[in-house]
Amino acid sequence: MNKRMNWGACAALIFSLILTVGSRTFLGACAHEDGSFGACHWANQAMFGLGILLSAQSLAALPARDERIRMGLLIAEAMTAVLGMFIPGTLISLCKMPSMVCLSTMKPAMLILCAVILLATLAGILQARKRAK
Amino acid sequence: MKISQLPVRNLTRKPGRTLALICLTALLALSVFGGSVVVLSLRSGLNSLENRLGADIIVVPSSAKSQTNLKQMLLQGTTGYFYMDRSKLDKVIATDGVEKASPQLFLASLRASCCTMPIQVIGIDQETDFTVEPWIEESYTRKLELRDIVVGSQVNAGIGESLRIYGVNCPVVARLASTGTGLDTAVYTGMDTLRLLLDAARDLGHDLKISGDSADVISAVYVKVKDGCSVERVADDLAVHVSKTETVQTKGMITGVADSLAGISSTVTALIAAVWVLAFTLLIIVFAMMARERSREFAVLRVIGMSRSGLAGMIRKESLMIGLAGGLAGIALGAVLVFSFSTLIEQKLALPYLTPSAGTLALLAGLTLLGTTAVAMLASARAAGRLSRTDPGTVLREGN
Repeated sequence: MNKRMNWGACAALIFSLILTVGSRTFLGACAHEDGSFGACHWANQAMFGLGILLSAQSLAALPARDERIRMGLLIAEAMTAVLGMFIPGTLISLCKMPSMVCLSTMKPAMLILCAVILLATLAGILQARKRAK
Repeated sequence: MKISQLPVRNLTRKPGRTLALICLTALLALSVFGGSVVVLSLRSGLNSLENRLGADIIVVPSSAKSQTNLKQMLLQGTTGYFYMDRSKLDKVIATDGVEKASPQLFLASLRASCCTMPIQVIGIDQETDFTVEPWIEESYTRKLELRDIVVGSQVNAGIGESLRIYGVNCPVVARLASTGTGLDTAVYTGMDTLRLLLDAARDLGHDLKISGDSADVISAVYVKVKDGCSVERVADDLAVHVSKTETVQTKGMITGVADSLAGISSTVTALIAAVWVLAFTLLIIVFAMMARERSREFAVLRVIGMSRSGLAGMIRKESLMIGLAGGLAGIALGAVLVFSFSTLIEQKLALPYLTPSAGTLALLAGLTLLGTTAVAMLASARAAGRLSRTDPGTVLREGN
């Protein structure tokens, strides 16, 4: 077992990648028959961008040699995850009918993924803090 | 350090092992809580469907079966519209064995953009209705005025807001309680308002396949059969006497849903049983391995004065804490997954789905926690029993 491995950052990277890939595949927004884009499409785009940012932050935190730098990166990632929880439905509105895919699948899945990333980064921060002491 | 703190210290000293045991018990709780909530929600949905349908027979035009699946319309909220002459209502009322008969008129709103789903608009005759009216009266007791609408729980429009249907602004006067069926995605209004909307749709150039005046058409007749009369016989009589119509017996629809529910219930029960057997076996193995690994530690505790029962009690306390932590984690995870994706589950199962009351859920969570903790303690009981019988001197001498 790698003694320097931060398991929180590792888990956060896995879930950030699921968020990024998911927002382009199984967590897509509602289909548009007439080619126009609804608000849920832009919420999905924002989540895709945020997924890339979260993945990059995890990737940067993983090889960091200084635990304080790693901690700083994970704190930034935790705050990004909190921002992600507010995007679908709060900062960017979604469709009106609860039966639509953006409300029935995209929103709950993204909220859960962001919550899991937040928990993973918090675990990573605690691990890094312990090692920094 | 006090001896009572020992179980907590033992668990925190080996976080990896403790986490693995908690994950295993969490899996038990997740499977039983999540599975039970889904099955209970389906049962509530079926009861709700039985209560809400109210009618024994639904008479629809012959063309309706080819255009719309009535079952899908009621269960999943699929939109549809079909029309027949109003004179069919008089023929239905005149049929022997019919106690009550009330017409309904259907219309589907347009899909305007991503955020506007087509909505089923249902016009009811408030004077004779016995299916929707009792449901509306739970939240709105006044008569519906022209343009007033009542929305199902799944329609995202609050009281005081207006829905624009075919260019007509309709104020929402009430929201209905959830039924877990397709009826939740519909909008209800009086016959006069629906005729106004039909005319508005025709003025906008939509072909609703109505020839003549919209006042002369209805979509369906809901029939209540007199007590003591056979529903099958009345349905046959209606099929003979009311031409160009089809009769749908709601009992058959409910039986179909009940059969699907029974199939899903047995599958979920089998899955839960499989997970429990697997996890229980794993827990027994893990506790046995753990006891073997810690045999020297237990022997030292016995040598410094801990009694056999004290040692067994310590193991029981450890398994109790693991059971409680895993149970709570599993219930929390199950609740997050099942409640967040309830709409998706309902859509995928294509069955009525109504989340049980908070009291039922709390009771279920309590029972799950009790069951998970009991299983964890039971799994450790064998290891605790073996350890208490082992001679500490032999263990320390042999160096096991």
